Amino acid sequence: MSAITAHKDPKLPPAVQLPEGPDWVNSLTLFDAHVAETLVAVVRTLYPHEGLPERVYRRTVFQFDTMAAKAPGAAQTFAELIDLLDGATSLPFIELTESYRVRALKGIEESTAFRLVQRSAVRFLYDDIEVWQAFGYEGASVQLGGYVNRGFNDLDWLPDPPPGV
Amino acid sequence: MTSYQLDDDGVVVIIGSGAGGGTLANELAQRGIEVVLLEAGKHLTADDFVNDEWGGYEMLSWLDKRTSSGTWRVAKDHPLTPSWSCQVVGGTTTHWSACCYRFIEDELRARTVYGEVPGTSLIDWPITLADLDPYYDLAEAKMGVTRTNGLPGLPANNNFKVMYAGAKALGLNVSTGRHAINSVPYDGRPATIQDGFTITGDKTGSRWSTLNVEIPRGLATGKLELRSSARAVQIEHDGAGKASAVVYVDAAGVTHRQKARAVVLAGNCVESSRLLLHSKSGRFPDGLANGYGHVGRHYLRHLIQTVWSVFDKPVHMHRGEIMGGMIDDFVRHDPARGFAGGYYIEMNSMGLPTTAAFMDPGWWGRDFASVIEQYANMAGIFMSGEDMPQAGNRVTLTDEVDAYGVPVANIHYDDHPNDLKMRVHGYKTLTSIHKAAGAKRSVEAPAYPASHNLGSNRMSARPEDGVLDGNARAWEVPNLFIADGSNFATGGACNPTLTIVALAIRQADFIAGQMSAGEL
Ligand SMILES: Cc1cc2nc3c(=O)[nH]c(=O)nc-3n(C[C@H](O)[C@H](O)[C@H](O)COP(=O)(O)OP(=O)(O)OC[C@H]3O[C@@H](n4cnc5c(N)ncnc54)[C@H](O)[C@@H]3O)c2cc1C
Repeated sequence: MSAITAHKDPKLPPAVQLPEGPDWVNSLTLFDAHVAETLVAVVRTLYPHEGLPERVYRRTVFQFDTMAAKAPGAAQTFAELIDLLDGATSLPFIELTESYRVRALKGIEESTAFRLVQRSAVRFLYDDIEVWQAFGYEGASVQLGGYVNRGFNDLDWLPDPPPGV
Repeated sequence: MTSYQLDDDGVVVIIGSGAGGGTLANELAQRGIEVVLLEAGKHLTADDFVNDEWGGYEMLSWLDKRTSSGTWRVAKDHPLTPSWSCQVVGGTTTHWSACCYRFIEDELRARTVYGEVPGTSLIDWPITLADLDPYYDLAEAKMGVTRTNGLPGLPANNNFKVMYAGAKALGLNVSTGRHAINSVPYDGRPATIQDGFTITGDKTGSRWSTLNVEIPRGLATGKLELRSSARAVQIEHDGAGKASAVVYVDAAGVTHRQKARAVVLAGNCVESSRLLLHSKSGRFPDGLANGYGHVGRHYLRHLIQTVWSVFDKPVHMHRGEIMGGMIDDFVRHDPARGFAGGYYIEMNSMGLPTTAAFMDPGWWGRDFASVIEQYANMAGIFMSGEDMPQAGNRVTLTDEVDAYGVPVANIHYDDHPNDLKMRVHGYKTLTSIHKAAGAKRSVEAPAYPASHNLGSNRMSARPEDGVLDGNARAWEVPNLFIADGSNFATGGACNPTLTIVALAIRQADFIAGQMSAGEL
């Protein structure tokens, strides 16, 4: 991957730091360990990036928990998702292997619960600065003077267009 | 600070401070006319803005609930946010990416040039390009549009290099295009630092907005009063059927009634139609200015779509101005293509958060992951094309009311067969450009929530075809005007804001003329 450094806007709060290891679930307000770990498995199945560490997926679920703590409707919907997925086969979702997890998720794709979780996963996972760093997105730049002197036109594998085009 | 009394019936009340309303407020104030500008959103400054896609979106956008229906994919992907605009002083000019193109003559005569297109409600504009051209000149000068008035174009960035290579290989006419973004310092505003965050407010102010240009200048005349966090909920009329006052709710939740000599709606398409429909009375039982039933109808949103392509090597498309590229080979109506109207090709870039969200909402799994992981090697290319007006594509009121007691709006949009033909043609062209530059894989992204909202209170040559006359004055209410994009008779292909601004300047001339003639 290219050598870039990702920045969050200095006015925004920094990414939440969760403890490494199973204790991370103690940082949550609403979800219990089963719900939280199942949601981590769901987000990983939806967006499987081999190179991303578990903590990135956990931070996404941390955001879900914050959403659910603020909105009872959302809390209810997350609970429904867990029920749907755990009820999909004779094993809890968390015990399944990838192909079965995919199948279980495909089976509920039309549900409100799936939709909320899938959209929220995209919303928070790809807004995580560690993901930005991994995929080559630099984020906020105004505090560094933008890119005018930092590579806005440094692509060198195609010929340069004529000046003034 | 100028401040007018609520019972001062000598003021022009403008609802909405975006492209149309903010410009008109300044233009009227410059002509010595007393104006109260009501804006639902807060008055933020450059210091409040952030370089952050979701942070900016949440800070600036109109997030009140709407609903949607119809065959357009937006109703499935974004059912409660079908239209994308802002709620802040400056309106969506705090968010826009500043592409500035003019309508061509044929587009103002769409019905005549395209002929009868079944299922559409196409009309010609009640004005011609000759009427608009002088105002386009004024608009370009005030906005500092590149490649006009001797201003240089934006410099080529990485994403443009890709677009250029592909377009040249196919023999297309490509340039960095025209933008209300300074390539060099102009009018007290700095040149762009290429931070890539034009659409989250623009912290350096190199891009024109009504927040950083029109409103401060209007305020400086002493004729304009801006009331922010002021949500208009109803327009009232007097016994003669003239608009007489605007009822609005302030930040503390207190309701006020501002009397008016004339009222101008500039709330962006959906909100303007919604307010007219909601402002019912014994005299106007179906809503203000809706005697012919056109308020809310013929809603347009342009055929907008992006192709994202993955290349072998890094592009870093997020670096620099986001839409600095344009191809105009497909703008003219050409019956040989098999559809009516034309489209612009423009460059598009987004950061990782919104590329992921908009690439194909609902797409998940290993395939999606394998594409988005290559964000650094992605380039974007986009089109804005003319969609066909249809009477059934419309803004209506639902049974649900919002916190202000105003019914929530529904937007219904069915795709027309012409739209599908143009979309397919466009995807093929966009993809072939990227392929010619070496793309490994191209993804056809669907339309995101409607960012070009037009036509739902249209101008027409005859009262029975629309809501407004050629000065965007309501046929049925002689002192009621519309200054936002809902006044467009048809959509044309290009991004609409330059035309909204030109029409607002023209309208200021008209209003001032009427006032000095004692007619208003
Ligand atoms: C991401 C994005 C990129 C864009 N890029 C371009 C581009 O490159 N080129 C281009 O030409 N166009 C672009 N546009 C479109 C452009 O921003 C709009 O066409 C333009 O701003 C519309 O002007 P308007 O006056 O109709 O409404 P707006 O600018 O949206 O202003 C309407 C204002 O009215 C206020 N309002 C609404 N209802 C009420 C009420 N009841 N009471 C008080 N106030 C109210 C709103 O809060 C808002 O501030 C873009 C749009 C988006 C979303």
